[in-house]
Amino acid sequence: MKNDLRQRREVDGSSQADLAAAVDVTRQTINAIERDRYDPSIELAFKLASHFDCRIEDLFDPELNGTGAERDE
Amino acid sequence: MSSGSNRLAKRDTYRRLLWGSILAGVAGGLALRFFEYPLVGEGVYWLGIVGAFAVWRGTSITLFDERDTAIERRASQLALYASALVLVVGASLMRVLPRVSEYTVAPEVQGFLYGYVAVFATFAVAFLWVRYRS
Repeated sequence: MKNDLRQRREVDGSSQADLAAAVDVTRQTINAIERDRYDPSIELAFKLASHFDCRIEDLFDPELNGTGAERDE
Repeated sequence: MSSGSNRLAKRDTYRRLLWGSILAGVAGGLALRFFEYPLVGEGVYWLGIVGAFAVWRGTSITLFDERDTAIERRASQLALYASALVLVVGASLMRVLPRVSEYTVAPEVQGFLYGYVAVFATFAVAFLWVRYRS
């Protein structure tokens, strides 16, 4: 899932290790999320959003454009 | 070193300890059996297993996170698919080959395939249990 975790982390001036420790996952998990290779659980998404003081949908883009979910609206 | 980095360093250390304990127990056990000390080898093997268990349960640090679990789930799924392929083809060959050729299935091969059957029977029980509980 597309996200701007890396940009927000860099603005924060924190490392992947710092963010990983803050949300209690491994550094590799943060790296995988930043590279769109792993979609976090709802719980972790909430933790990340809370850490950056934003909403989950500000952090993650589910890329629903053109899919059934949007067409149904 | 920040507290976050310190925590991650500890996690890496404990994970290394956990896997190292299992590896040392298994390798040490094998080596001692090879050198004709089977009972001492068994003791070393169990020391490794208990050591790994102690590291896993004894620390307050989360050693495996949700991505580790997701990777494990995916790997288990792939292993089951591969096992299913071996069982489906192998069981069929075991039934057909003795009827159409002189080939007699070795008891070891039969045991091997029944081992796969046991794996899938265990999976079925686990699946039903998890479905019942969820």
